[in-house]
Amino acid sequence: MKIKVIISLLLFVCTAFVFIAASQKDTDPFKPIYLKLEIPKGWPKPGKDIFANNPLTEQGFQLGKRLFYDGRLSKDGNFACASCHQQFAAFATYDHDFSHGFNNLFTLRNAPALFNLAWTPLLHWDGGSNHIEIQALAPLTAHNEMAENIDSVLIKLRKDTAYPKLFKAAFGSTLINSQRMLKALAQFTGSIVSSNSKYDKVQRGEASFTISEARGYELFKLKCAACHKEPLFTDNSFRNNGLEVNTYINDYGRMRITNDKNDSLKFKVPSLRNITVSFPYMHDGRYYTIGQAIDHYRTKIVTTQPTLDTLLKNRIAISNAEKNELIYFLFTLTDTTLIKNPRYAQH
Amino acid sequence: MVNNQAGKILILSLHFLCVIFQTHAQRTTTVRPKAATVKISFINTVKGMPLVLDSMEYTNPFNEIYTVSRLKYYISNISLNNPQKHFAEAGSYHLIDAADSASLHFSFGAAANTYNSISFMVGVDSIKNVSGAQTGALDPSRGMFWTWNSGYIMFKLEGNSTASSIFNHKIEYHIGGFAGKDNVVQLITIPLSSPLKLDAGKSSEIIITADLDKIWHGTNELKIAETPVTMSPGILSKKIADNYNRMFSIKELK
Repeated sequence: MKIKVIISLLLFVCTAFVFIAASQKDTDPFKPIYLKLEIPKGWPKPGKDIFANNPLTEQGFQLGKRLFYDGRLSKDGNFACASCHQQFAAFATYDHDFSHGFNNLFTLRNAPALFNLAWTPLLHWDGGSNHIEIQALAPLTAHNEMAENIDSVLIKLRKDTAYPKLFKAAFGSTLINSQRMLKALAQFTGSIVSSNSKYDKVQRGEASFTISEARGYELFKLKCAACHKEPLFTDNSFRNNGLEVNTYINDYGRMRITNDKNDSLKFKVPSLRNITVSFPYMHDGRYYTIGQAIDHYRTKIVTTQPTLDTLLKNRIAISNAEKNELIYFLFTLTDTTLIKNPRYAQH
Repeated sequence: MVNNQAGKILILSLHFLCVIFQTHAQRTTTVRPKAATVKISFINTVKGMPLVLDSMEYTNPFNEIYTVSRLKYYISNISLNNPQKHFAEAGSYHLIDAADSASLHFSFGAAANTYNSISFMVGVDSIKNVSGAQTGALDPSRGMFWTWNSGYIMFKLEGNSTASSIFNHKIEYHIGGFAGKDNVVQLITIPLSSPLKLDAGKSSEIIITADLDKIWHGTNELKIAETPVTMSPGILSKKIADNYNRMFSIKELK
């Protein structure tokens, strides 16, 4: 009797399996909602289309967002991408020179803010990451950051009740692999655009600068914009801005990537968008205020470093009054639409 | 006790399942007409003897004794050539892992023709190094990807040697770099000892020997005592790559 019951159960399961497989095929086709990355008016087109081999979809974006906020991508479950890339800090780490990672370890560089990555050809302060899709592997596997390994993350995701469905919605089947995980993350992070600060509204004719902001803007164009190029407020180059070497860390920046001594002490020019919320500043977060950062260019640049940027050989002449005006202008680069946008926020 | 009828039902239902799976499998296999099958096999050796991981001690030309615990390398962009034509394998990326015998052989369909050389890269071409997340042999979870200076580890040799001064007498050569002066990837062409005639619908095999001994002196001298480790692109990686790029030869055509 028992055997009969087992066999009929087995048969039932087999039949059910066949029917489920068939019904999924017919009634649940892969129909993602395709999205297009909006290029703000007046902005350059990105140098390369980061979504060329990763079609941007609403489902992919939502999956990427969920992964971005999921602590299970880290070894002990505590360190989601979002733990160091906080939306209220324009996706940098608020008020931290170095971020905290696994096992009470610090990172060795200041967590960069994440926005306008579609216009950012090389990622990381030293440009060591050459594609947004594989960038996430660096923090995910670094022993002082998320300290995980890919296979272990994938096992956790496969066991989850929600992820297989979300992967299916985003990529057409429940298969969960590193490529899909990384592409989904890239869809989320690559979609974060900051283009709605007061500065942007002024450019679009929707607002106007105060007198101090306007003066600061003129000064900015004169003294800062060669590297912090509008409208992205970076030219994405690597330069030595004359910071004294921190002898505890001995970080020589891009030279580690290129093995070229001409790249010694060069770091990526960061965007100045949202700098009121992304402090502290510089690759090691040594300056906590905008005033200190400006003072660096006025008086602190180490002019004896052979790779010092030629634009900084004589430091930058900025009077106290001009410094204040510059700060007024830099305040207009804060994009509250970005830092409060529920579309980028955790569910 | 097994009821006879129940047994029949069980067998029938299993048979039914088999049929379903079979038809499914058949549907997914595409048979290209007029193609020959070529099987490529790699045999990792040291001075003519098959490589034995962990337990076997080897001696390099500088009388340094070493063992090998891990040997992995990429073979990519395979093509079969004759003076008029060359046939390139599609999606040609293979990770050879001495610890995984299944990784040492692979087959693909090739145009029926007569070929007299084979070309391939040891490593991954620059395009795949800058094109984002890959899968299959190029999946970063295969342990052959650098995240801090993104790009593939083309070749990985790990082991121990009494000549090594670092902790646990380790030797560890992780070779990579795909751009500019640090590019370690080159296209190697090896002539076949006799022309290989691939016939449509038939299968042939090219057996390639990799002699690990060449890593110490293929082109440049590499002494364990001087350089037991490299884990980044650069001059040393390039020198070692110049050595292992000389380690392949054709053993047999079948």
